[in-house]
Amino acid sequence: MNNAYLLALIIASGLLSANAFSNCEFDTDDADSPNFMDKIVDCEEQPAKISSKKKSSIAPATKLYGEGTVDPVSGIAERPVVAPGSMNHSPGKVFAARQPYSLRPNAKFEQSVTIAIQRLHVEMAHYCSKGWSIENQWTEPDAQAEGDFFLHFSFRCAG
Amino acid sequence: MKKVLLTAAIASALSVSSYGFAEGPIDGTIYGKVNVSVVNQDTGSSDEWKLNSNASRLGVKGKTEIADGLYAVYKAEFEVCVDDGDCKGQTFTQRNIMGGIRGSFGTIWAGKHDTPTKLAQNKIDLFNDLEGDLKNTFEGENRVSNMVAYTSPEINGFAASVAIIPGEGADLDQDGIDDSGLADGMSYSISYTKDNLFVTVAGDQDVDNQDLMRVVAQYTMDDLQLGVMYQQNEDNLGTKDESGFFVSAAYTIDKTTLKAQYGSIEDDVDGDKENTLSLGADYKLAKGTKVYVFYTDNTDSAVGQADTDDSAFGVGMEHKF
Repeated sequence: MNNAYLLALIIASGLLSANAFSNCEFDTDDADSPNFMDKIVDCEEQPAKISSKKKSSIAPATKLYGEGTVDPVSGIAERPVVAPGSMNHSPGKVFAARQPYSLRPNAKFEQSVTIAIQRLHVEMAHYCSKGWSIENQWTEPDAQAEGDFFLHFSFRCAG
Repeated sequence: MKKVLLTAAIASALSVSSYGFAEGPIDGTIYGKVNVSVVNQDTGSSDEWKLNSNASRLGVKGKTEIADGLYAVYKAEFEVCVDDGDCKGQTFTQRNIMGGIRGSFGTIWAGKHDTPTKLAQNKIDLFNDLEGDLKNTFEGENRVSNMVAYTSPEINGFAASVAIIPGEGADLDQDGIDDSGLADGMSYSISYTKDNLFVTVAGDQDVDNQDLMRVVAQYTMDDLQLGVMYQQNEDNLGTKDESGFFVSAAYTIDKTTLKAQYGSIEDDVDGDKENTLSLGADYKLAKGTKVYVFYTDNTDSAVGQADTDDSAFGVGMEHKF
């Protein structure tokens, strides 16, 4: 065993240290990949810390999305954006809304995450006109098109 | 008895979040896959059909935040033999099992695990766990016991892993003296990832009685994935000095992925040569589920002897969860 060689490698490895862990979407075979550690730490969804809000995490959410119609701009199947107008408010009720967006290089502005957030806020205002709190947000890929995603908001109407 | 112990171990792992031994949130996930194939294998002297379980597995992995930004990480993975339930006489056999501490400095971990060299081949082996598996032709595909390792975080695309392996009384370097040091064997890899390119240099020293070096590159262009590997290895007794290469390509058309790979390695000591060729196609039924068909031909050419030709044709399915 060449100890100098080993020491050099360890030093070289140490010099590479920094907070730059990779993105993830866990696949079973990733457990055997070189960066399997990243997949464990970064890809496991952190459970909510126990707090007074625990009740909200288990409250059933009313989904505001479904298979829907095809958006003529994005081509992504989804319900149309809720237009403000007939405002509603259900105190304490939890909803889950989602909007599509795209990270494809050729995506149009209308498909940007900015517009998706704007649409979600319109939707939240529609169902919780007296205010709301966003309890969780997450993104899932659109299995039909690489580079397309759904941004989800779970929100609760003010009590 | 081992079944009972395993069941208890898994149950303990799954229930730990309920009891909350650590201060931070505890996370854990059960994962695995079932991969079975019906294969016709022709070795020249025999021709038979069989059902194979191709490294089907069940695993538990997770992390516990023990301080801000500091995690205990674990993974325990076991092979299950879907074909006949007999995994080398056991119901479950151990695959990669490790525990470690992960922070901004990287991860220090230990266990029985694939070496950094084996992990370095990433996914260029398109027929992994089947008859065309890289390990059937090339050395260096080792899962070793008693491994202590450090894996750096990735920075600017670079990452590195170093593992040391105490001999624990075994003669790893085959010098006739039992090894009892901390780093009697060693395995390392240094990788670079940028966009669709993955390149790594990896090596072993006194692992599986050999010294080894390999260079792996993988490049993805839209629906095309290319892989190439060059490897040299020699044993400590001077009876083997091999070098060889491996190439693979996969092209995805809608839900179908066409795959091909070829490898060849030659021993400079005795002139023996091994080749492997595999062709196949996967059809994706759903996320995590596919059916596949493949043909593999593994040839072993020994100087002064007739070639040994081992071919296999199979169809199978894989479901990951």
